[in-house]
Amino acid sequence: MTDFTRRGLLQTGGLLGAAAFANLPLTAAAQAGEITVTALGGIWEEAVKKAFVEPFERKTGAKANVLLGSPPQWLSQVEANPKNPPIDVIIVTPDLAINAAKMDLVDTFTVEKVPNLADIPAEFTNALSGKGTVFDYGVAGITYNKKTVKDPPKSFKDFVDRTAAGEWTASLPGISYAVTPIMLMWAMARALGGSVDNIDPFFDAMKKMRKNVIFWGGPNDFFNHLSSGEADIGIYFDGRTWAHVDAGADWIDFINPSEGGSINALAVQKPKNAKDLAWEYINVMLSPESQLKFAEMLSYPVTNKKVQYPPHLAKRFTPWQEAHFPPYEEIAKVRAQWVDRWNREVGG
Amino acid sequence: MKTSTFPTIPRRLLLTLPAVLFLLAFFILPLVDNGLRSIVQADGNGITFARYVQLLTDQFYLTSIAQTIALSAAVTVICVLIGYPVAYYLVRHAGRWSGLIIFLLIAPLLTSIIMRTYGWQVLFARRGFINTLLVQDLGLLDTPLRVLDTPGLVVAAFVHVLVPFMVLSIAAVLQGIDRRLEESAQLLGAGRLRTFFEVTLPLSIDGIGTGSILVFMVANGSFVTLVLLGGGLKTLPLLIFQQFNTTRDFGMASTMSTVLLVVALVCLFLQLRLVRRGGEA
Repeated sequence: MTDFTRRGLLQTGGLLGAAAFANLPLTAAAQAGEITVTALGGIWEEAVKKAFVEPFERKTGAKANVLLGSPPQWLSQVEANPKNPPIDVIIVTPDLAINAAKMDLVDTFTVEKVPNLADIPAEFTNALSGKGTVFDYGVAGITYNKKTVKDPPKSFKDFVDRTAAGEWTASLPGISYAVTPIMLMWAMARALGGSVDNIDPFFDAMKKMRKNVIFWGGPNDFFNHLSSGEADIGIYFDGRTWAHVDAGADWIDFINPSEGGSINALAVQKPKNAKDLAWEYINVMLSPESQLKFAEMLSYPVTNKKVQYPPHLAKRFTPWQEAHFPPYEEIAKVRAQWVDRWNREVGG
Repeated sequence: MKTSTFPTIPRRLLLTLPAVLFLLAFFILPLVDNGLRSIVQADGNGITFARYVQLLTDQFYLTSIAQTIALSAAVTVICVLIGYPVAYYLVRHAGRWSGLIIFLLIAPLLTSIIMRTYGWQVLFARRGFINTLLVQDLGLLDTPLRVLDTPGLVVAAFVHVLVPFMVLSIAAVLQGIDRRLEESAQLLGAGRLRTFFEVTLPLSIDGIGTGSILVFMVANGSFVTLVLLGGGLKTLPLLIFQQFNTTRDFGMASTMSTVLLVVALVCLFLQLRLVRRGGEA
């Protein structure tokens, strides 16, 4: 006969209770799920948490862990372990997104999986072969010092002619900056009658402008050029211009050239074999409410058609139809040639 | 008495094992990997030396290699010319101020290289401090000086960053020179200048050598200053950065970095020979 003592019962009950208590949160977390999502650092991280992570967690009861870093790093992590990717949602530049799609590392987006995809212009998904979509963008155009440039150029052509004439010193992105082949070389060549296959108009323009041009190595560098008076005008991003304005530099302004600047976008992708819960997170990312919150925090426009910007943002944002989505795949094929030609002909 | 089963030498070698493993993992293996990348074809199938041929025969890349060496050499020579007198004063005349001088030398190293480089922009911009003074305040010039984006400013910025290494290297050696040797030379009739050139300078050549190697090697691999200040120079480190950042051609980047390493080793060898010969003279 089994001998039940009071102490034995208490010990057994205590152990069972402790086990149950310890197991409770694990069970709850396991039921709701947990995913790893990505964000760039600084205000970006804050915006991702407020605009995407918080509503996702409220809606699903699941947890989204935010991993900081950069798109090439996240893509490398997925590439290193495609069967069990350590990240469930990645944020990438379109050229990397196209690479990821080519390498078959990411899943195809459909309205069934992501209902809010229906409100994203198809161009932004088609550009990535359906393997992801663009969720926010900026435009590279003309940023200038209002105090020294009273009559700013309205087009790339005007910008080139007046820079060549020595009306001002212009600060352009240097060739060591990763986006230069797109935001400057392709955009300017296109505006001046060239294309990916004919970059000559850009180099002809540079030849004319060279003596009145300096180069910036990184985005902060451009602002230093303007604030120190080394340059009066240049090619820069709208969102960064507005961020400087909001920080007190109300003497600068931005113009989208009449030929249209280049769109510099960020896309979202779901790695193959990532958790299905990632679709829910992406759906939240693309919802009008989250997109508006994100746009308000970062001063960059978003892609959901239903988003209604407040007047101060609507005035700033360039509609994507008035800019051009770069042909990343074609540019990637000639990028090394362009850089080599720049090194030999432009210097700087 | 029980003796150790380990012979003496292996036990000593054992102590070096962590350092050897560290070097193997973080220096030798990456170097081998880098070398392999430079000769593997872009599609991963087969070996090619085409990148080396391009780098060593194309005039543009040869000019880039020459610019890399010339920039590092110019910075090194200027650092010696500025650093030696400072080190000499520090050791021989500063007295109780030597601590303060060393602090002032080292203090800029506590500031980020990017901040120090931006400082040059603030000073020499078209409407920066110097040009405002010369054009507006003193009226000495009609138009602002164009100093930014010139090779001269790049050299100045490098010297600004690297001269403390030179001063400290030379000062350490000057400190160890037996003053009685200089006094003997003077007692035997040598003037102060002759004593300096025939006694002090040869005895401090090791300091100049150490400082030169330090300065040359750091300048040889730097690109941040060039990215920020331009100057129209296309040195190899800048081109390597481009291969990673703009073209993503890792094979070419590896080839360039291998060539840069060889250039650095050759220069190091020549400097060591020069220093040894100078020390023997």
